[in-house]
Amino acid sequence: MSNIPPEELLLEDDDPSRRQFMNRLGLGACAVAAAGAGVVTLDFLKPKVLFEPPTKFKAGNPADYTEGTVRFNKEQRAFVIGTAGGVFALSAVCTHLGCITRYVSDEGVIACPCHGSKFDLEGNVTHGPAPHPLQWLEVAVDDKGELVVDTAVGIPHGKVFRV
Amino acid sequence: MNTPSLDSLGLWLRGTSVYRSIVRHGSTETNRNRSLIVFENLFLHVHPVKVREKTLRFKHTYWLGGITIVCLVVLVATGVPLMFYYHPSVPQAYQDMKELKYVVDNGIFLRNLHRWGAHLMVFGAFLHMLRVFYHGAYQPPRQFNWVVGVFLLVLTLFLSYTGYLLPWDQLAFWGVSVGTNMAREAPVIGDKLRFFLLGGNAVSENALLRFYVLHCVVLPVVLFMFLGVHIWRIRKDGGVKGPSEDAPDVFHEDEP
Amino acid sequence: MSALPPLSPVESNDPVEVPRRVALVRPDARPSIRRSSDKFVMAYPHLIIREVILFQVVVIFLTIMALIFNAPLEGIANPVETPNPAKAPWYFLGMQELLHYFPPFVAGVLIPGLVVVALAVIPYARINLTAGPLWKGSDEKKTTLAVAGVASVLVLFFGGFQCWAAAVPTAAVAGAMFMARGGSNGGRWKQAMARLTLPQWIMTWFVVLATVLTIIGTYFRGPGWSFVWPWTRMVHS
Ligand code: HEM
Ligand code: FES
Repeated sequence: MSNIPPEELLLEDDDPSRRQFMNRLGLGACAVAAAGAGVVTLDFLKPKVLFEPPTKFKAGNPADYTEGTVRFNKEQRAFVIGTAGGVFALSAVCTHLGCITRYVSDEGVIACPCHGSKFDLEGNVTHGPAPHPLQWLEVAVDDKGELVVDTAVGIPHGKVFRV
Repeated sequence: MNTPSLDSLGLWLRGTSVYRSIVRHGSTETNRNRSLIVFENLFLHVHPVKVREKTLRFKHTYWLGGITIVCLVVLVATGVPLMFYYHPSVPQAYQDMKELKYVVDNGIFLRNLHRWGAHLMVFGAFLHMLRVFYHGAYQPPRQFNWVVGVFLLVLTLFLSYTGYLLPWDQLAFWGVSVGTNMAREAPVIGDKLRFFLLGGNAVSENALLRFYVLHCVVLPVVLFMFLGVHIWRIRKDGGVKGPSEDAPDVFHEDEP
Repeated sequence: MSALPPLSPVESNDPVEVPRRVALVRPDARPSIRRSSDKFVMAYPHLIIREVILFQVVVIFLTIMALIFNAPLEGIANPVETPNPAKAPWYFLGMQELLHYFPPFVAGVLIPGLVVVALAVIPYARINLTAGPLWKGSDEKKTTLAVAGVASVLVLFFGGFQCWAAAVPTAAVAGAMFMARGGSNGGRWKQAMARLTLPQWIMTWFVVLATVLTIIGTYFRGPGWSFVWPWTRMVHS
């Protein structure tokens, strides 16, 4: 191994500023192309049409919901519950990590199988890791007087639908 | 009649011009040819020609990285045949699992091998990391290789996790639902990230297809690239380092 | 067919038979050519034969496993019915156990993220390169205070979330750290413990915690993530 100092090994460069400019231009072009490719790919990966099931469902006649009635719609993952003042709908999707809760009628609670959250019949958390109450869902009646629940539309907690 | 023995058959084979066109070096009885075996072979030349004797001791590495690589080989060798029967669609994916189990010859065996190989790979990679840590083998000059290893561990976990959805059974569906809901909690990008990963708002057929592509193409390719760097760096960093009772490496921070 | 010529013996460390080269190695040379006082052997056959054996052993082991145990397959995925309990693969069950105690952001994003980052920076943190055995050469009082302080903060933190599965192992590791004090003249285990550096203790803590959480998540959790004994679980399934 000889002992040439590293400076002397540098290649000769007659026009450093020109070389630097060309380097930057070239690298810049590559960067722009890469960024463009990235954006286009991300956009490509974003689905434009989703074949997800309808979010509205019919929940029957309001008169069926006497006080204390709890009905569970499995396909739509929602509870429809009758109270003295009317009817409300509750999402059955646990606010913790999205498991489907179930109504335990002997205890009168809604329980999640995944990490042990429990909710009362208004959706308030009574136990476990769930951070929020269960989502209340929009309830309406259609022209035939049947209840219609929309699982995609949340409403403020406690807003009972009067019938 | 004088039937040729296996030995003389081997000798004859090694004399043929076809064999000699593939393997240029002579017999393995000289040190020179033993070096040639290693560096004239694309696959063997990840090895150095000579290694320190003590690095071969069991307690030097416990062979844990090696176990992990063997698992990877088994996973590719079983994963590719499984792909011939597997359709990443709902509900066919699940039906394919049943078919592998009850109909396809040795289907259940291949699937078992793939599954237990995956478990062992995760376990092996984790133990390998611990052994590297307690031997202090992340210290200079091996810092970068440790970081590559952390990527490899994460990639292994992702591979395993994406594979977990593929059978499309209840375990798969809910394991992945809960897991991807966790991603949602990441600030700012959480929801978007989950949407991209699943190709929708919930675990559905889109998610199955995305996980399939990740599992069978994207992640293995990335893993193999990192693995290549990992193995290459072992040599460049001076071979594997064992228990710290060994003489420490001479190392200078001012290395160019 | 001509017989190959007879061959001379190989693989000796006799410097006359296998001449050595003499070279001056600069201190800044590549790591791979430094430290050459060790005995070297040829990769073929010594290393490669071991790799082949390793391959065979692992493949035989996996084959036996695959012949005895079937990979699980439950009913077809049903988005409207969550199985009870719904468990992730074992290597995520420690995390799932944490989810039982902490908000999802903490257990699912913050802690795993921190673990990965902490792992990645290990070789760049000065302490990991310089630390000696915890109780050696350091101010014993200061170390005692620091260990006790940090451990009690952690235990209180986990205890505050009722996460005994993390609080108890943390306390146990802290206890072991104190036991290691002056352990250099104890038995084999005590001596090994006395040699551990602070980074090694931290890693040990992490491993113990991860193992305990994973075991609890795997064997001690039943419907609704309630605590069950493994044997009652067996009876049910
Ligand atoms: C090139 C490599 C790989 C290919 C081509 C591949 C392919 C596949 C295919 C087609 C399946 C679906 C069939 C089935 O579920 O059995 C599958 C499942 C799976 N893979 Fe892989 N895989 C590869 C590597 C890996 C690795 C490295 C891991 C983990 C460390 C892994 C873990 C899994 C798991 C856990 C399953 C679910 C297994 C089961 O259902 O029993 N795979 N893989
Ligand atoms: S998803 Fe319901 S408690 Fe975790």
